[in-house]
Amino acid sequence: MATGSRPAKRDEVVDVLIIGAGPSGSVAAKHLAQAGMSVVTLEQGHMPDRNDFPGRKPEWELVTQKQWHPNPNFRDRPRDYPINTDESDVHPLMFAGVGGSATIYAGHWTPFLPSDFRVRSLDGVADDWPFSYEELLPDLETVEREVGVSGLPGNPAYPPKMSYPTPPLPIGKVGRKAAECLDKMGWHWWPGTNAIPSLPYNGLNACVRRGTCMSGCPEGAKSTTDITYWPHALKAGARLVTGARVREIEVDDRGLATGAIYIDEHGRERRQKAHTVIVCANGVGTPRLLLLSKSKHFPDGLANSSGLVGKRLMMHPFSAVMATFDEDLESWRGPFGQNIASFEFYETDEKRGFVRGAKWGAMPAGGPLGATSFVGTKVFTDPNAKVEDMWGPHFHDMVDRRFGHTMVWGIIGEDLPEESNEVLLDDNLVDTDGIPAPKLKYKVSDNSEKMLKFHEDRVLEAMQAGGAIETSVVHQMADTGWHLLGTCLMGDDPKKSVVNRWGQTHDVPNLFVFDGSTFPTSGGLNPTATIMSVALRQTRHMIAERRNQEAA
Amino acid sequence: MSTKLDDNLRAVFAGIADFLIPEALGMPSASQVDVHGELADRILGLRPDLREDFMRGLKAAEGKSSEAAAQELNTKDPAALTAIGLVASAGYYMTPKVRELIGYKGQESRPEADPDATPEYVANGMLQQVIDRGPIFKPTPR
Repeated sequence: MATGSRPAKRDEVVDVLIIGAGPSGSVAAKHLAQAGMSVVTLEQGHMPDRNDFPGRKPEWELVTQKQWHPNPNFRDRPRDYPINTDESDVHPLMFAGVGGSATIYAGHWTPFLPSDFRVRSLDGVADDWPFSYEELLPDLETVEREVGVSGLPGNPAYPPKMSYPTPPLPIGKVGRKAAECLDKMGWHWWPGTNAIPSLPYNGLNACVRRGTCMSGCPEGAKSTTDITYWPHALKAGARLVTGARVREIEVDDRGLATGAIYIDEHGRERRQKAHTVIVCANGVGTPRLLLLSKSKHFPDGLANSSGLVGKRLMMHPFSAVMATFDEDLESWRGPFGQNIASFEFYETDEKRGFVRGAKWGAMPAGGPLGATSFVGTKVFTDPNAKVEDMWGPHFHDMVDRRFGHTMVWGIIGEDLPEESNEVLLDDNLVDTDGIPAPKLKYKVSDNSEKMLKFHEDRVLEAMQAGGAIETSVVHQMADTGWHLLGTCLMGDDPKKSVVNRWGQTHDVPNLFVFDGSTFPTSGGLNPTATIMSVALRQTRHMIAERRNQEAA
Repeated sequence: MSTKLDDNLRAVFAGIADFLIPEALGMPSASQVDVHGELADRILGLRPDLREDFMRGLKAAEGKSSEAAAQELNTKDPAALTAIGLVASAGYYMTPKVRELIGYKGQESRPEADPDATPEYVANGMLQQVIDRGPIFKPTPR
């Protein structure tokens, strides 16, 4: 096996141009470069500096509500692009930078289950994937070793698989209490698997339970690809260009991709030529770029002969259940991954009145400001509450009752694909480089509504059985669009899909999509494990077929 | 609109902050830990996006009792009351005295002594009950 290539020069026509240095693009860059291919990756954000992350500072909770908010429209950093969400029930959450939105994820590591690949066969809705859980498993197990996942093997929610590279993180008092509640019901739980190593691993430090994962880990202990993939990719000769906002993928007279035009951070327009182009810009950014790349050959956007580019957006409608207990749960302690997870109601049971299911993850509730906001006055109470309901002596009483004593359950329900849920180009809104911004049209389905309500009720039952003294539900929260999937459908029929089973677009033989936008279905869980595994599968195939690849 | 927090507006803020966060249940009031002093400037420096709503609320509250001002803002300008409440509560919980009283040292580093140790839920048989119930995933056609 080749161990790398020489770094590409700026004007060189490289073997592969990758657009986006998030989880999927990073997997591709590392493995392609290590296979000896010349690789350039364009990333609109920058390489994160963990000293910038606020977790060690006393103002941590305050700035997570603005500068480190996951919604780019609210955060409004210079490298963020705006998104029109006027017609969307869920707001997309993302982060621009090397490592992508995982920079601010919670690191829940939950691979898709076997049934997630066979939704049409099992439930008669949506689509089957072109490959199975078992076919993807070798790629998943490789990715888990590169990521440094912590966890305990043997989860009965999954078929047997290889153990994790680091032991499970402590479930803490929150996890133990959550497990006791589920035990009262006889329901499934398992210690959380997280992309947060419990031991030093592949450039990562061991988790020290600071609990600030979702604003970037200042300890360098949450697995993001700036730490786990890019040092290897750069060593193998990959070139990474940050502050590079891609405006268009260009094609030649034969309709083959020739590279991309991008705006550097000084506002200069540049061009990167390549024999092959891979788009890894997430389920909003990828269709946006393809729709922006209109040409004589592709008047409706690149690779869009099916008309499905941007369609079938899935974002996982999400509910949260807060439960407070008498016991001190130290619920400000990390990790802010999942302490435990439950798949008890993940698979379809038609008697419930909906199809598919959801994963539950138990998490801590944060610091005292969180006790008065996210799990307190602002979200979990009646919007018509009086001042004294939330403030005055009640304020102290509430913090005394909730702070350190509260867990939050996140319910991620499977989002079934619908063509009416889509990413478009906005007619007026542009980013700071004048490039048209995306617009989302997204409605939560009746199936999702019923699913979330069922799961909220079951979580409440378990928490009450376990002795919760206070519970609250936030049904279908808006700022929860972490998982951006489905907008460049993968399938075998060029008339009914955008890319084939290897991520190759049906219309442009040297243009590929390796990110979560190719997912036919969304699962009912956090998708990063599967996004990275699919990216590795497609990358391995590209390497194996490199001699046969048609190029511009 | 002036965005300077002068002594008069600082006093207005202290009054509303004390209505929102009074001395009670063994806890000091907001002004007793000086949330209206340099701390307010620091919070507004960290979150400049709050300043406009915060100042608008304080100006609207001038000449009114703290309670009446808070009640009026809650109905007529909730964004302003939210900004005032957030500046007050964020500052309050950043002070060492308040943190000590609620037993919070901040988001601290507490490494595990032995990550390879057998977890309690394994040793005490809790997890075995889950394992003993058997697989729950749905087998699929390949």
